[in-house]
Amino acid sequence: MRRVFSVWVMTLVIGTVFCAGGRSASAADEYAYDLVHSSVSFKARHLDISWIHGRFNEVEGKFSLDRENPAKSTFQLTIKTDSVDTANKARDEHLRQPDYFDTKQFPTIEFKSTSTKAIDGGYEVTGDFTMHGKTKKIVLVLKGGKEHTFKDVKRVAFSTELALKRSDYGFDKNAIGPIGDEALIIIDCEGMRK
Amino acid sequence: MPEPLLYLKAMVAAAIVSAMTVLAMVLARRHTSTTWLNLSCVLGIGLGLVVGYGVVSLRLAWPPVNGLDRFLTITVPLALGIELIAGFQNVPRWFAWLLRMSLAATIPRILLHGSVYLSDSAEGWTPWQTGAVLVLCGALLAGVWSLLSWLSQRSPGISIPLALCLPILCAGLTVMMAGYIKGGVAAFPLVATLVATTIAARLLAQRSVALANLSVPAIVGVGVVGLFGLLFLGRFFGRLSTECALAMLLAPLFCWVTEMPPLRHRQPWLVGSLRLVLVAIPLLVVLAAAKRDFDRDMAPLLRNTEAPTFRLPREH
Repeated sequence: MRRVFSVWVMTLVIGTVFCAGGRSASAADEYAYDLVHSSVSFKARHLDISWIHGRFNEVEGKFSLDRENPAKSTFQLTIKTDSVDTANKARDEHLRQPDYFDTKQFPTIEFKSTSTKAIDGGYEVTGDFTMHGKTKKIVLVLKGGKEHTFKDVKRVAFSTELALKRSDYGFDKNAIGPIGDEALIIIDCEGMRK
Repeated sequence: MPEPLLYLKAMVAAAIVSAMTVLAMVLARRHTSTTWLNLSCVLGIGLGLVVGYGVVSLRLAWPPVNGLDRFLTITVPLALGIELIAGFQNVPRWFAWLLRMSLAATIPRILLHGSVYLSDSAEGWTPWQTGAVLVLCGALLAGVWSLLSWLSQRSPGISIPLALCLPILCAGLTVMMAGYIKGGVAAFPLVATLVATTIAARLLAQRSVALANLSVPAIVGVGVVGLFGLLFLGRFFGRLSTECALAMLLAPLFCWVTEMPPLRHRQPWLVGSLRLVLVAIPLLVVLAAAKRDFDRDMAPLLRNTEAPTFRLPREH
């Protein structure tokens, strides 16, 4: 009985030590994407004379931020293509079709970081960007990273812009007519600490 | 943006290649059989499609990533392959039909592969829904395929393949007007190659007793699979309504009306013309509805921008 008790106490002690050690080893803060205070928008050239603006209304994401060891930070973002919104219902329906986003086949646009490094005023995040069934490695320059605690919730925010060619992601070249090949994606993301 | 001239070029190229292939293959042999004619038709359709799709830049992508890729690289080649096998006279009919029905049962699953419908997401179907859609669609395809093949055996002629081309053309235009341009484009080389193959086969049948009572199951088989595939893509990946898709798929079955006793023994040209008219009537209604929806939803996007509300000052 005594032996059983001592084994039980030892297990408890070792478990507590490991748990505490694990917690101190990871200094990263986990944040969830705050849809209310964030936006993923885009713009593309129309007839090469003006810009058409749009946004995605449904976005999910999370990131972990390790200020002491930025290489351990990770970023993930999932954009629902069906939520495309260019302030024109007919055009949105057209953009959901297979000639453009093909939302029934490719319901999401995803970014998953593979490495992160700190730079002046933010982070340089390299990762896999998947759109329209094609994955390419891209580099995002995240600016910001200021923290603010509001009503006991710690928040941190980043902004980034990404220029990409639709033809690189398998979009039909014939559908790249009056709307330019290059699109600019603008991400303003506010994260809430979990 | 739609490019009608390019589509016309693709249709002409596909038609020439298909017709020339069939004529060259049959005329190169002294003794021609229906097996050889069927084989030449399968090759003619295949080559015509490759050339036609090449002209409109619909490349055969591997691995296929979307529904249209799977249609072009898996479904159509499978249909051609099965019709090639089925055309040999030593292949039992039951085996040929087993292959055809197996293909009909698997096409819906192939085309939906990797789509949101079969995913675990909120938009995904339940297992029951998935089963019901796949079985119903497979049964529809099998039904149309077997009824048209039966009719073409009973009362052979060019009117059945031509009547099948009408809904394929209509499907292309309707899918395109609903906003899925690439999906609609896929119909045009298919129509051209089927029409050219049918006419070439007809010309050969007229000059050979062995090929009289022409019936080429390959043309009907590829035509039905092509029609079903285009409508399926338009319905589940584009914005084609279920009613329109069903109307176009079932329209060729109106050819059966001419099998009624008062019409059956009429002159062949009259029966053929009547079949085409009967098939065309529901298709015209579908086209009118598609045009109305296009004018309401899509045309404003293509129109020029409205007149500017400001003016630049004139230079003096």
